[in-house]
Amino acid sequence: MNATWLPVTTLATSLLVVVIIFSLPEDARRPRTIVNLLAAVIKVILVMLMVGRVSAGREDIFSFQVVGGVDFVLRADALGVMFAGLSSLLWLCTTIYAIGYLEGSANRKRFFGFFSLCVASTIGIALADNLFTFLIFYEMLTLSTYPLVVHNGTQQALNAGRVYLRYTLSAGVVLLLGAVLLHYLTGDQSFSSEEGLGDYLNDHRGLLTLIFALLVGGLAVKAAMVPLHGWLPRAMVAPAPVSALLHAVAVVKAGAFGILRVVYDLFGIQLSIELGVISALAVAASITIIYGSLRALAQEELKPLLAFSTVSQVSYIILGIGLFGPFGTIGALAHLLHQGLMKVTLFFCAGNYAEELGIHRIDEMDGAGKRMPLTSIAFTVGALGMIGLPPVAGFITKWYLGIGAIRAEMYWVVVVLVVSSTLNAMYFLPIVHRLWFRLGPAHGQGQWPKEQRLGRLETHGWLLWPMVFTALASLGAGLLAGMPFSPLDWATRVATGEYLP
Amino acid sequence: MMTLLLALSLLWPLGVAGVVIWQTYRTPSARRDYFSVRWLSAAWPALLLAYGGEAQWTIDAWMLGGEWELNALSRPWLAFTALLWSVAALHARGYFAAEQAQAQAGDQAAQRRLMRLALLWPLTLLGNVLLIIAQDIASFYLGFALMTFAAYALVVHTGTEEARLGARAYLILAVVGEGLILGGFLWSAGEADTLTLQGVRESILTAEHGAWMAALLCLGLGVKAGVIGLHVWLPLAHPAAPAPASAVLSGAMIKAGLLGWISVLPLGEEGISASLTQLGQVILVAGLAAAFGAALYGVFQRHPKAVLAYSSISQMGMMTALVATGLVAPAVWPLLWPGVVLFAAHHALAKGSLFMGTSISEHLPRWPRALIWPLLALPGISLTGAIGAGMVAKWGVKSPLYEMHHETLIKLLSWAAVGTAALVGVAIWRQWQQRHEGGSNRWQWGAWLAGIAAALATPLWLPLPAGSVAMPPLKEWLGIMWPLPVGVVIVAVGGVLLRYVNAKAPPAGDLWWLYAGVTSALLVPMRLIARGCGRVKAACVLASKQAEEALMGYLPRLLAAEPWMRHHASGLMMVLAVLLAALLMWEGQR
Repeated sequence: MNATWLPVTTLATSLLVVVIIFSLPEDARRPRTIVNLLAAVIKVILVMLMVGRVSAGREDIFSFQVVGGVDFVLRADALGVMFAGLSSLLWLCTTIYAIGYLEGSANRKRFFGFFSLCVASTIGIALADNLFTFLIFYEMLTLSTYPLVVHNGTQQALNAGRVYLRYTLSAGVVLLLGAVLLHYLTGDQSFSSEEGLGDYLNDHRGLLTLIFALLVGGLAVKAAMVPLHGWLPRAMVAPAPVSALLHAVAVVKAGAFGILRVVYDLFGIQLSIELGVISALAVAASITIIYGSLRALAQEELKPLLAFSTVSQVSYIILGIGLFGPFGTIGALAHLLHQGLMKVTLFFCAGNYAEELGIHRIDEMDGAGKRMPLTSIAFTVGALGMIGLPPVAGFITKWYLGIGAIRAEMYWVVVVLVVSSTLNAMYFLPIVHRLWFRLGPAHGQGQWPKEQRLGRLETHGWLLWPMVFTALASLGAGLLAGMPFSPLDWATRVATGEYLP
Repeated sequence: MMTLLLALSLLWPLGVAGVVIWQTYRTPSARRDYFSVRWLSAAWPALLLAYGGEAQWTIDAWMLGGEWELNALSRPWLAFTALLWSVAALHARGYFAAEQAQAQAGDQAAQRRLMRLALLWPLTLLGNVLLIIAQDIASFYLGFALMTFAAYALVVHTGTEEARLGARAYLILAVVGEGLILGGFLWSAGEADTLTLQGVRESILTAEHGAWMAALLCLGLGVKAGVIGLHVWLPLAHPAAPAPASAVLSGAMIKAGLLGWISVLPLGEEGISASLTQLGQVILVAGLAAAFGAALYGVFQRHPKAVLAYSSISQMGMMTALVATGLVAPAVWPLLWPGVVLFAAHHALAKGSLFMGTSISEHLPRWPRALIWPLLALPGISLTGAIGAGMVAKWGVKSPLYEMHHETLIKLLSWAAVGTAALVGVAIWRQWQQRHEGGSNRWQWGAWLAGIAAALATPLWLPLPAGSVAMPPLKEWLGIMWPLPVGVVIVAVGGVLLRYVNAKAPPAGDLWWLYAGVTSALLVPMRLIARGCGRVKAACVLASKQAEEALMGYLPRLLAAEPWMRHHASGLMMVLAVLLAALLMWEGQR
């Protein structure tokens, strides 16, 4: 039975929310909150349904023809559902967080409208079954994120938004060029087709390589690979929930997910290896990993540090793709989820520090563990996960990537992993040390930059609980990685599907 | 039943830590007891577990697949570790009594310190227990990391300048060690596609680059075990840490590195490759170098705990050499390993007692001197092998070596024992010089006495395989006991001779200062390079911005061409038509 309604309803839920929110008046806070949360919960349920159906071996397809030879196709396959699951779950958390975060600030209608649009595009990207559909949602994501980045309306935010648009729109053009070339070469190419592009290899080797370079080059801007990462640290001026969403699910992940789609579903692993582009990808990812960590080391403010950490961490996914073999793929896919959980936690923490205590710089964080213990514990969990220490989820991915590198006989990747772990430790451990071991305003030395008492607990409950949940999820994903339906389990399922069709 | 005990021994420390947090928020500070009976009991379930017999657990949902086991090796290991943790906890109750009184009187700094220690102590213990029972890599690594990072709080406790330096050295080397271990595990496990320590051992044995994998793991675990070159944190961290923390650090935690070696190296296996044997020889030499070098350097230290830290390095050097024998001469290992375990267990308790003793000599109880100073020296004397468990332990490693004719090694180890005796002598002497009367607490000396008793009677309670260790025959006694008098005499003579030489004691942490100097020297060119890169990048950005501006400048000019074209539209059309016609004609001609 083909439940066509399932993917399309999932997408429509988010789109409908956008319409409703934009039609509500600005000061209708309660209805907007209810609509937001209701839709987020419904979407989580729908995605769970899809997960159930996919694990039972059924894939639901929705399609209609746009013009001759170009179809709009949504399909719930294992990889797409994985990304959709991440985005719907984190959307729920981030929405709750954003409601608390934007309490009493201006332009909330605009914010939540575009916020929902942004997530709707992410779902579209996850479920898109061909390059055409993918591109539509990909560009929609670019445009819907801009208002979020410039939400504060300051000169700095506007500048950041301009840089963001420059990068992403030119990348979009490059991507479009690649897609058009591919369409010219092969016609409509579904992600789910079994044969891949292998037939074209002999006659069009150069063209295929060019198309690959164009597609991946275009996607790499959103995935923030060096040297195309410049927009990401600047986009830090956005409000914390936006940064969290940007880094954990929406924009950066959309780029990485796109590369996953291109390599695994469009070109196919076999063809990518024969073209020799895979190793280039691994090298580029390694450079990004090390460069991001080095730059993070030099940061003095918390959010830019996290941004450069994202630059470094997202490339783990690309690195995993570069290690052809099931282990690398499992590592890449699991990291897509793990990094999302951990990074969203870290950004929630950064937002909490900024909201409650006015902390933006790292050297202002001394002794914050006493004032905000739960936030600091969550931050510690996230930081340890980024370093790759067990039992946090980051260890699991690092392990699989390392094993994959050894299996592929790319020993230098292990060196990259170890060096990156050490660098991560070098910039995260001092912060953790500051939180717990230094004396600060909480011990009567100095003052917080701008302290507010937002809630009965250490901060506003809406800010606190999503963070606690994601921190627990990051711990659980590592500690109970062997459970069915854990991120690792699902990643293994997808990878097995790719390698043993 | 065993499963219940296992769950309890892992969850109980966690619960204890939870209760510490709970009482920080709920109990008023004046009634807060950081070292309650509940806290003291953190290690008791693990101790019971060790005596519960052998058992095995497989937990699929746990990380990458949990494999836990209590076998002939991990049972005695868990027993002495848990015992030392229990004794040290009792000692801590007395040691921190004064600080606790301060905290109850409202001293915020003392409250903070004690809360931190009380919270992270059970977590460190938890890591230590987990790594002992773990047979799969992920659990082992988790236990190791948890223990390593949680122990930071134990080292840094007092928060003084020295404590922070010691803790920093500890942490930096720990991070380096974790990286090396991760690399080694990934390499060996990736080659053999395994998730267990047993698999790693087989992989190292059979893989082409097995020796290199083993070397990585050896170095990584060696940070904990104080292998020479990576030992620098020990003499910096130990004097700064509180006595009970030093006791578990030197007794239980550095043994984790040793256990790691025994678990991952293919000791005593048949068919050890030539390169692995070579590695074994290197480790052997490194171990002996540590045994002698630490003794030579340590005797010049002023702080008794620094002397004891060097003694730990020296002792671990001996154990390193013994482990290396398992690679160099595999046939000896099946006979040797119970002796090594006994050696480690005895050293753990004896060194723990010696460290606890340093706090006794700082707060001497009103006992006769003739009683207290021999008691302080007793674990040290045992450590040299002259009496009690030390003698049995020495014989436990000596007799298999005799049987397999490794006389040179025996001789070297005996001479290293002279170093031990010298170090213990110096330590007691320094304690005598820096003694203070009063302020003793019965928990403090009670735990210390219990530690001494446990150390002297180690073979009686350690659950080793039956018949694996025995009392040495009478005629061998002299051969085991001689290092003690020789060492003491050397120290005495040296002390008298050096009285007239006015030289400064070498700094604790020896190579650390070299490393620190080299690193800061290396940082200078690296900063220069980084600055250069930054400048290049800025120049690139500027250049591309200018190029963009120039391009944008052309746009209006292009637009300006439009009116001109509009004006000359008819003419341009004519030209176009002519061109097209010419093209057509040219096409027709071909």
